[in-house]
Amino acid sequence: MSRILSLTTFTFRELIRSNMLFVWLVWVVVLCGLAFLLSILSFGSILEIFMDLGLAGMEMAGLMVLLLGLAATYNTEMEQKAVFLHLAKPLTRGEYLLGRILGFFLVISLVVVGMGLVVVGLVVFVGGGTVPAMFYNSVVFLLLEMFVLTVVGMTYQAIGTSMAGVVLYSFFTIFLGHLVGEVEWLLTQQLSNGVKDMLKTVYYILPNLEAFNLKDRLYDPNLVLGWAQWQDALLYAFSYSFVVFLIGWINLEKKEFR
Amino acid sequence: MTAVPAKGWVLQWAPWLIPVLFVLQAFFSSRLENWIHPTSFEASPVQRMDKRVASTLRAVAYVTGNKVLVGHLFWIGVIQYYGNDDNAGTRWAKLYDYCCLASDLNPQFISIYTFGANALAFHLKRYDQAAQLLAKGIKANPEAIRLKYLLAAIGFQSSDRVDLMIPVLEEEASRPDAPPLLVNILANTYEKMGRYEDAIQIWKKQLKEGDTDEKRIVAGQKLQEIYAILKSGKPGNRR
Repeated sequence: MSRILSLTTFTFRELIRSNMLFVWLVWVVVLCGLAFLLSILSFGSILEIFMDLGLAGMEMAGLMVLLLGLAATYNTEMEQKAVFLHLAKPLTRGEYLLGRILGFFLVISLVVVGMGLVVVGLVVFVGGGTVPAMFYNSVVFLLLEMFVLTVVGMTYQAIGTSMAGVVLYSFFTIFLGHLVGEVEWLLTQQLSNGVKDMLKTVYYILPNLEAFNLKDRLYDPNLVLGWAQWQDALLYAFSYSFVVFLIGWINLEKKEFR
Repeated sequence: MTAVPAKGWVLQWAPWLIPVLFVLQAFFSSRLENWIHPTSFEASPVQRMDKRVASTLRAVAYVTGNKVLVGHLFWIGVIQYYGNDDNAGTRWAKLYDYCCLASDLNPQFISIYTFGANALAFHLKRYDQAAQLLAKGIKANPEAIRLKYLLAAIGFQSSDRVDLMIPVLEEEASRPDAPPLLVNILANTYEKMGRYEDAIQIWKKQLKEGDTDEKRIVAGQKLQEIYAILKSGKPGNRR
């Protein structure tokens, strides 16, 4: 456990030193500017718009840190062979992978929660409004989504052979992962059997990111979020991440570093 | 010297663990899917606006998983469209389609329905479209009483669409916490439709159970008015 924690701390420091928190700063400025502009141009509840924008901004900031982090660390770990330094220590490759995942997730969580605090602060102290309970649930679901994507991204890093490949695989997984939610609808349409089989494969292989997308239903009166839903979401995030982690670990074991 | 730790049982069991966990995640994914999307994807048909614009916007919203954000940005476009005098020549023909698309993307944003329905009904006199937009809003937001009031007001304004408001008003007025104003609107609508017996029943109830003198006085006056109409022998549809 201490070996995993040391690697987590190392990854956390590495990402912080590579100025990943600037992403957070840039997004806060962009978010506030965009929210200000929208509140002038739009017609409707300003605070509602601001919170919707805030949640979208939190997700984008987290994804940006993940993609930039994957690109930056692939360069240092795989291409500049920094991975040798870690694997020369008494550490299994599985522990290495898990430590990296947790380090990445810590930085992403810092950015997401930091942005969440800015949004809540502005809504409560500047806007004089209240934040619905569903906002906090959405943030936790967002963190679950980020965890799943971090595991997927790190697995791509273990499998991939180039930085561009790793970033592109992760990028398309994010987009297709959101579309998975609409695959069931697509399957009811008139499509050839081949296309339907392909869609079914995509549906089960890719992460269902819509399962964590509460931000689009923040004010939905029909949304029920009880212990059963929490249980399903946590078990889904855990089981999917574990499968992907095992695949990444096996690939890392088979990888010959030269 | 520290020994290199064993790879452990996890890797040994991996060939079994992977399929079991894969099936498990597929099971939970399907369960969550039914929870997050209780109804299947439904897009309002577009008539006046360019279908490619609607499809592109929907695609961007669904692919990025940011329906609400895209909805807010598109909503600003709709406001700009309505505010542009150049579109007066076509009487803002695309307004209804635009509001429908914005509400598809962001169904819980009440302003789309209130702004859209007010513009369509009271400015452009397209009562049917306004009522359809509000009906969609009420379906998505059953608790939004403002939308029901507005639908009732549009039905009252458009004398040939009073039929629209009666079922909505009856449902709302039957609730124990129904606002008195809504009950009064229902009674006046019954009177307007010539359904005097229904109107009398409501006013009698108000006269008996009204919690203020003012409400009981109004109820008494309305009863006198209706009885006078019935006595004059010229009852009927007052539309």
